[in-house]
Amino acid sequence: MIEHLGPQLFNGIVLGAFYAIVALGLSLIMNLTGTINMAHGSFMTLAGYLAYTMVLRNVPFGWALILAPLFAVVVGVIVERTLVRPLYKREPFYSLLMTFGLSLIAEEVFRLIWGPNGVPFSPPASLSGAANIGFMHFPTFRIFIVVVLVIAIAALALFLTRTRFGLRLRAAVQDNEMIAALGTNTQLLYAVNFSLGIFLAGIAGVLAAGLLGLAPTSGNALLMPAFVTVIIGGMGSLFGSIVGGLLVGIAISMTTLFIPAASEVSMYVLMAIVLLVRPRGLFGEEGIFG
Amino acid sequence: MSRPRLSRRSFVTLAGAGSAAAVFGIPAYIPRIGEAADSIKIGLLEPYTGVYAGPAENETHGFEMAVDAWNKRGGVMGRKLELVKEDEQNDTSIAAQKARKLINQDKVAALVGTVSSGVSLSVAGVAATTGTLFIDSGGHTDDVTGKNCHWNVFRTCHSTWMETHATGYALQKRFGKKWFLITPDYAYGHSLEAGFKDVLAHIGGSIVGNESTPLGTTDFSSYLTKIDAAKPDVVLVLVQGDDYTNCLKQMNQFGLLKKYPVGGPQVELEPLYGLPPEARGGYWGIEWYYKSEKTLGKNNKLAHDFVADTIKRYGKPPTARNAFGYVTLDRLAQAMHDAKSIEPVKVARAIEGTHFTSIFAGSAYYRKEDHQLMWPMWVAKIRPNGTPGDKYDLFDVTDINAAEAVEQTISQKESVCKLGYPG
Repeated sequence: MIEHLGPQLFNGIVLGAFYAIVALGLSLIMNLTGTINMAHGSFMTLAGYLAYTMVLRNVPFGWALILAPLFAVVVGVIVERTLVRPLYKREPFYSLLMTFGLSLIAEEVFRLIWGPNGVPFSPPASLSGAANIGFMHFPTFRIFIVVVLVIAIAALALFLTRTRFGLRLRAAVQDNEMIAALGTNTQLLYAVNFSLGIFLAGIAGVLAAGLLGLAPTSGNALLMPAFVTVIIGGMGSLFGSIVGGLLVGIAISMTTLFIPAASEVSMYVLMAIVLLVRPRGLFGEEGIFG
Repeated sequence: MSRPRLSRRSFVTLAGAGSAAAVFGIPAYIPRIGEAADSIKIGLLEPYTGVYAGPAENETHGFEMAVDAWNKRGGVMGRKLELVKEDEQNDTSIAAQKARKLINQDKVAALVGTVSSGVSLSVAGVAATTGTLFIDSGGHTDDVTGKNCHWNVFRTCHSTWMETHATGYALQKRFGKKWFLITPDYAYGHSLEAGFKDVLAHIGGSIVGNESTPLGTTDFSSYLTKIDAAKPDVVLVLVQGDDYTNCLKQMNQFGLLKKYPVGGPQVELEPLYGLPPEARGGYWGIEWYYKSEKTLGKNNKLAHDFVADTIKRYGKPPTARNAFGYVTLDRLAQAMHDAKSIEPVKVARAIEGTHFTSIFAGSAYYRKEDHQLMWPMWVAKIRPNGTPGDKYDLFDVTDINAAEAVEQTISQKESVCKLGYPG
């Protein structure tokens, strides 16, 4: 048992990094506009399928990893402008229902285009071996995933803290009326923010397609843990989403080691404990969401 | 401008309700095909949405081919056959509800379909209480024709006992008796596990590791890291569908497919087509195949026409699921024709025990004592890249097992299964 602890911890971190990046996208969109994006998983799946289609047409994997999320962003911007934006002024459950409906439609569209069965998608040969990381051999692709996700998260952090636009975004989360009054185009802020969230989802989607399978239902399967991650990490806190993701990943991998049957339940138990002890979540900022 | 504030409480409630709905699905409406006053309606329950949508679609194609074949010949007793389709969403309670709807509202003469074992049992339960005929085309758990058997419930696909006994001995012969099992944690998996334990008891082998994985597991790495420590002769993968794809893909990433032989009770073409070639391999139980004399039989015109027609109509070769659908409906229609009635008891009596030939090698029959279709079970070696000119051609069929050799005997079944015909 003990000899598996190290590898398991690593597996947990890989899994956790996934949940973190999906949760980050969800948080971004939710923090600014109060939209609970139930179609987040669909954007992941969309990016996965787009990357699959590109690789089939001999686009290198590295390019697909960037281009597919960008295409997903294009779709995301159209969705934001036409369907989500009109609902910003309404109660949150309007946009929740809208995006939920969208995710159902998306699943069927994927099924129509790419078929009901999964499609074969694998990382390039250079990433498919295993690397020696000192105490064990670990799949190269998993290490690659962690590296990409860390870069994405770091880039996001820099964008939000070091650029004017990022600062405006954060300011708008605090008080969007004031930001609007000061002459910032909030509609543009919303669109860019939504795109950022979708871009993160897209990257996660392409990586997940390489690691796991790629089927019409793939993205939605990763959505629930991402919501749990947001709740554990605390709403309003992007840092919380990262910590929450890692905690969920490690919780799942550790329970798998000791009580496999409880592995899928462990994150809910963790969520329940966090909510009992600290209802706002680990890093939740109570003020932000009123 | 202001926007409504989202409180933490409402977020938890909304996200929870929303995700639950996403996971468990919301009712989808599948329109009915055609309405004819004097047609014989057959209720078809399949998981058209969700993880088993692929197998569901293929079974449906099989059902449609059989319906069309009968209708082209003038129908049954001069009445056209008509499928009334419902999406059971791979959910036991929705399936039961849809089954009742088909019986009460659509007045179907019989129910057919299902993919997942739990759903099959649920529909079998409704069938038993309402006295409606049900042929389980695709749910494998032993209980359907075991302890939950009923006079009006039949099963076309193989039982888990047949799968484990057909493959268990074949795997032992090739690789050895120290097995590592990756088992799905629900009815189907438990029933497979029981079957393999019986095989092991006969060959004196042992289970050096058995990982029970929840349905819908995305990350198998946690289970896979234990394989090296257990040093098995062969790794048996019992999970199905998307779980199968995820598991094999990750075994490949961890380099396990190069280190250990792999195999299992059953592999379906649907998830296999979703795997990259490097993650395909091993010896598996298969339930039918479109391109082998061992499965189709020698000069079997019916089988060859079925394959050719399916390719022509749906653009891809049939899988075992297509065969389940076709055989199920063809036998149901034949029994109605023979009984000259759609009265459940008469039709059930006409189905059971009747030997017939169909789109597979040899003859078969639904066993009188438990209503299991007794047809051969095959074992195949996977060709990762197909054959030149046919990327779908992944199976090299190696073994053929007679049903009687791999299914429990009538005397073994007697103690668990009581059909309980009325009167």
